[in-house]
Parts: sequence; structure tokens; C-alpha cells
Amino acid sequence: MILRSQAGQKEAFGIIVKRYAGAAAGSASLLLGSYEDALDASQEAFVRAWRHIKRFDTRFPFFPWYATILRNVCVSHLRRRARRRTVVLSDGHAQASAESNPVLLAERNERRDRVWQAILALSSKHREIIVMSHFQGMSYKEIAAALGIPMGTVMSRLHSARQALRNELTDEEP
Amino acid sequence: MSCDEFKPLITGYLDDELPPEERALLEDHLADCEACARELAQLTKLKEELSMMEFKEPTDAELARYWRSVYNRLERGLGWVLFSVGAIIVLCYGGFKLIEEMIKDPGIAVLLKVGVVALVFGTVVLFVSLLRERLAVRKVDKYSKEVER
Ligand SMILES: [Zn+2]
Repeated sequence: MILRSQAGQKEAFGIIVKRYAGAAAGSASLLLGSYEDALDASQEAFVRAWRHIKRFDTRFPFFPWYATILRNVCVSHLRRRARRRTVVLSDGHAQASAESNPVLLAERNERRDRVWQAILALSSKHREIIVMSHFQGMSYKEIAAALGIPMGTVMSRLHSARQALRNELTDEEP
Repeated sequence: MSCDEFKPLITGYLDDELPPEERALLEDHLADCEACARELAQLTKLKEELSMMEFKEPTDAELARYWRSVYNRLERGLGWVLFSVGAIIVLCYGGFKLIEEMIKDPGIAVLLKVGVVALVFGTVVLFVSLLRERLAVRKVDKYSKEVER
């Protein structure tokens, strides 16, 4: 499919998009905390992937490559939102908390909703590495390439992200 | 090695990303350090919990809508490029033609001629600068970086 996409066949690319749409929108909603923004960002990332598809190395799996693009799109989204939020401060916050429900999870329960909120409460640096490692199934090598950091940094950052997440969850324990 | 140095290795151990030597070193430490063993147990539990959170598989209708939206954006991207190139050509060509005609026409006041010349040049400059900004933003966005490999 990727080879056919590289040859410029949009229908072939459509099959790829449909295969990964669920994971793409789901992880974007974790990165952005908003379902609407997640749809928009993940679609934008597919558009960019299509534009660069010829440069994609078919010896590697598609999704980590796409996830790298998606991460960059989400970073720009957050930057734009931060700029907007300085203008409409109170509005933005109310909106973010109302939109951040984990509607894209296959099965929800109270505990999972709480974990979801805990992930959203992390710093963006910690959140993105948790998403890459746990929700996008990326190896340390793939994460290192995506973030442009050494493998050792991946391990230590992922460790502090997990510690932060654990602390966030134990704090909330009744 | 202190516990603080061992702790990040626990994460690598959990993900099976440690080289054999470090792995053996950590296993030795875990055998007689309760704090690190507890950390491993907690993080193992966390990882299991996260692995159970799976994303919903979209329905066929949702997927069709999703792809249509991506497809429309692909087309629009091409549309924009063509529009920009076309607009530049038309603006430049039309602008210069207009100026040429006007300069020749003695019936038009000099002030108006100056005004129109300024207007046309201004539009071209603004357009080019807007375009350049768009391209610059692309570069800052690390477009090239995301396609390394
Ligand atoms: Zn220890």
C-alpha cells in the first residue's frame, strides 16, 4: 500500500489512513486533550505524511514515522492554543476541561477515566513520551529519532514521566 | 552505583530495552534493594494498567468521513499552490499592463497615476511577503526534521 501511495495513488493512501485513523485520533486526543482538535490534528498529519510519502523508508514501519509528524502537528497546535489562551484566558480553561473526556477509549471505567485525566495533567514533555511509549508502541530508538534526543535521555525522561504519572494517581487515591 | 542511578534502568528493564550487562547489574541490585524492587513493582503495575487502555476502533461510516476530510485537504493543498502561482502571474502582468496604459493616457491626472502605480506595487510586495512568511513558517515547523530516516 505504501509503495502504491508513493507512486501517487490516493486510494492506496486512503487504505493506510483508514487502518491507522483510530490510533492516530486517539493518541492525538491524549496529546491535545480535546476530541475536536485531535481529529483536526491527526488529519493534518496525514496530509503532511502524504506530501512527504516519497521520502518514507519502506523498510521501517509506517506508524512511528507518522507519529513523529503527528507529534509536530500537535506541538504547533498547543503553541497556537497557548497564544490564543493568553487572550481568552478563562474561556480556554473551561473549554479544555469539558472537552477532555476519553471518548476515544474502547472501554471506559472510572479508573481508566482517572488515568486518562492523570496523563492530561502531566507536562507536555512527559505526556508525549508516555503516549509514544504506551499508546503508539514506539521503541526507545524510534522515540529518540522522533524527538531528536539520545536513547539514554529517552529512558530517563520516560522514567520520570512514569514516576510523575504514578504520583499523580496515588495523590488522587481516596 | 546509588539507587538514583539505578532507577532509570528500572524503566529500561521493564521495557526490555537494557543491554545485557546493565540488566545483570540491575538484577543484582534488585535482589537486595527493597526500595528499587518496590519501584519496579509499582511501574510494572502502571504499565499493565496503561496497556489495557485501548483506543476505540472507528466504525466504517466514521472512517469514510475521516478519509473524505483528509482527501479534501489533499486537494485543497494543491489548489492553494496553483492559486498562489496564478495570482502572482496575473497580478504582475495585469499590474504592469495597467501602468503602461495609464502612463500613455494624457487624460488622467498625474496624481492618480502615481496612486495607481503605488497601489499595484504595494499589492505585489504584500503578496510576495505573505508568501515568504508562509514558507518561513514551514521551515520553522521542522518540516524537514519529521521526515528524516
Ligand atoms: Zn536501590
